[in-house]
Amino acid sequence: MAQAALTIDGLSVDFEGFKAVNGVSMIVEDGELRVLLGANGAGKTTLMDLISGKTRSTGGRVFLHDTDITNWEEHRIARAGIGRKFQIPSVFKELTVRRNLEVASCTSPSVFANLGFGFPAKAKVDEVLELIGLTDEANRVAAYLSHGQTQWLELGLLLTQDPKIILLDEPTAGMTQAETHKTSLIVNNLKGRHTIIVVEHDMAFVREIAERITVLHLGQVLAEGSVSEIETDPKVKQAYLGSKGIT
Amino acid sequence: MLSRRRIDWVIYAAFIVLIMVFPLIMDSFWLNRLAKYLVFGMLGIAVALSWGYAGILNLGQGLFFGAGAYMLAMSLKLASTTSLQQGSDKPVPDFMLWNAEPGAKTELCCINKASFLWLPFQSQWFGVAMALVLPVLIAFVLGSIVFRKRISGVFVSIITLALVLLVRLIMIDAQPVTNGFNGLTDLGWFKLGEFEFDPYVVPTYYLIAISLSVVLVLARLLVETRAGVILQAIRDDQNRARYLGFDVPAYQTFFFAVSALIAGFAGMLYVIVSEFASPTFMDLSFSITMVVWAAVGGRASILGACIGAILINMISATVSETEGFAEAWKAIIGLVFVLVVLYLPRGIAGLAHDLIDRFVARRTPDRTRALRVNGASSQLAE
Ligand SMILES: Nc1ncnc2c1ncn2[C@@H]1O[C@H](COP(=O)(O)OP(=O)(O)OP(=O)(O)O)[C@@H](O)[C@H]1O
Ligand SMILES: [Mg+2]
Repeated sequence: MAQAALTIDGLSVDFEGFKAVNGVSMIVEDGELRVLLGANGAGKTTLMDLISGKTRSTGGRVFLHDTDITNWEEHRIARAGIGRKFQIPSVFKELTVRRNLEVASCTSPSVFANLGFGFPAKAKVDEVLELIGLTDEANRVAAYLSHGQTQWLELGLLLTQDPKIILLDEPTAGMTQAETHKTSLIVNNLKGRHTIIVVEHDMAFVREIAERITVLHLGQVLAEGSVSEIETDPKVKQAYLGSKGIT
Repeated sequence: MLSRRRIDWVIYAAFIVLIMVFPLIMDSFWLNRLAKYLVFGMLGIAVALSWGYAGILNLGQGLFFGAGAYMLAMSLKLASTTSLQQGSDKPVPDFMLWNAEPGAKTELCCINKASFLWLPFQSQWFGVAMALVLPVLIAFVLGSIVFRKRISGVFVSIITLALVLLVRLIMIDAQPVTNGFNGLTDLGWFKLGEFEFDPYVVPTYYLIAISLSVVLVLARLLVETRAGVILQAIRDDQNRARYLGFDVPAYQTFFFAVSALIAGFAGMLYVIVSEFASPTFMDLSFSITMVVWAAVGGRASILGACIGAILINMISATVSETEGFAEAWKAIIGLVFVLVVLYLPRGIAGLAHDLIDRFVARRTPDRTRALRVNGASSQLAE
C-alpha cells in the first residue's frame, strides 16, 4: 500500500467562536493528486493556511510523513517539504522571471550560507522555464507578465522549490479557457512526482486532473471519493443545490 | 558582449578614479569639504541598501551615524591637548570640569556619576571598534524585535523615527557625559601609528575616498550575492519568500545591520574630517535629508544613491555661497525631491540605466528584439 504523505487529524481553527475548519481529517497518499471542493467560505483556503503554517490551529495535528509539523513556523514547514501557491498570484515583481526561479532554487535557507555568488541549479531552472512555457520571457521583469503567465510563474517557483507536497489554491482563477487548459497540462505533468492538493471551482479543470476529491462544507469534510462518486453523491448535491450545483 | 552589468562596473571604476584624482585639482579647503560629501555618499549607500534593496525605509539612519560619530569622538576628545591640560596627568574632557560638583576629583573615573563610561575610550581603537559595533548591535536588537514581529512598511519608519528622536533627547539630557547641545568639539586628530590625520591634508582625503570606494564595491557585491537577491525577493513579496522556506526576519535583520554598520562607519569618518560630533546628527531633518539624497540619486542603485548625496551637497555648497540664494535653495531641493518622486521614481540612476539599455539595444544585433516580438506574437496566437 502507498504511504501517507500528509496526514491531517481532527484539524480545527477557531476564529473567536467561528470554526472555519472544524475537525477535518484526511490522508493524502504519496504521489496522489487530491482535489478540494466546496462552496465559497467552506474553509478550503483556511485548511491550506493551517497546513502551511499561515494560521495556527487550535486543535488537531498535521503530519508530513512521520513528522508532526503542527503549528511550525512557515519557513520551517516549507523546508520540511510543503510548497504553496496562493489564491492571489504572488511572485517577485521587480525581479526577472529567471531570477524568480533562481531564488526558488536556493536550497539553503540561511543568510550566511547564501553570501556566495551564482545559483547552481541552472539546468533545473531552464527545465522549469520550458515546462511553464516562459523560456522566451526569461529575462523579462515579472511585473510585465500577463495574469496567466504570472500564475504559471508562481507554479514554476513551486516546481523549482521541488517540495514533496504542493498546495494549489485555485490555480486557474481568472484564466481564459486556453490558459486553464495549459495549466491542467502543467499540473498533470507534476502528477506522480509530487503529492498535490488542489482547490478548484472549475469543474472542467477538475475533470481534467482529478483522481480523488474531498468535499468541504462549513468547515467539515462532507464527502470523499472519485469524480463520479462525488458527482452523484446526494449529500454533495444537497449542499450545492441552493447555489448552482456542481456543473 | 556589452552587458549592462559590465557597463555598471565600468561606471563604478570611473567614479572611483574620479574621486581619486580630485586632490590634483582642488585646494585643501575644498578637499576637506569634498571629503565630507564623500562621507554623505556613504550614507547614501546605507539608505539605498535598506530602502532600495530591503524595502525598509529607515527614517532614523541618523541614529547609526550619530552612534558611530560619538564613539570615535569620545576617543578623539580624550586625545585632544585640552583634555590633557585639566590638571590631571590623565586626560579629562574640559566640559566635565566646567560642570563638576565642587570638590569632585579631576579624574575620568569619578568626576561625575557616569564619567567612568569614558575610561576605555582612552584607547582610540576602542572608540573605532565601538563606532562599528554599537550601530550593528542597536540594529540587530531593533531588527530582531521589529522583523520577528512582522512589522513592516510605514510602521518601521515610524519606529525608527521615534527612536532617533528619543536618543537625541537622551544625548542632550545627559549633559555631564555628552556635553548636551554643544556636542563634542575641540577634538584631537585620528592617528594611524605615528601619522596624524589633519582634516585639511591630502592623506585624510584619501582615507575617506578609499574607505568610500571599498564600501561602494563591497555593498554592490553584497547585493549581487544569493542573499542579496533573496533580500530583493523578500522586498517584493515577503510571504512568497517565507513559503519558499526563507527565514525572512533573519535576512531583514542582517541587511538592516549592514546598513547600520555603513552608517556608523560614515559617522566615524565624518568626525575625523569635521572635528566634532553633535546631537544635530540625530535631528530628524538630517535623517530625512539622507532619504532625499538616495531618492534623487536612485534608491535602487548603490552608486546612484551615493552620487545623489555627493552631487546635492556639492551643488548646495556652491549655490549657498551666492548671496541671497541660500534660503531659496532649500525650497529648490524640496521641489526637486517632489518632482523626482513623481516623475523619476528610480532617480538619476534609473534615468542612466534607461539610456544605457537603449544604447545596448542599439549595439546588439536585432536578435533579442526579434525574440521579444516572437514572444509577444506567440502569446497572441494562443
Ligand atoms: N482570519 C480569519 N478571521 C476570521 N474569519 C476568517 C479568517 N479567515 C477566514 N475566515 C472565514 O472562514 C471562512 C472560510 O474561509 P476560506 O477562505 O477558507 O473559504 P474558501 O473555502 O477558501 O472560500 P473561497 O472559495 O471563497 O476561496 C469564511 O467564512 C471566512 O470569512
Ligand atoms: Mg479560498
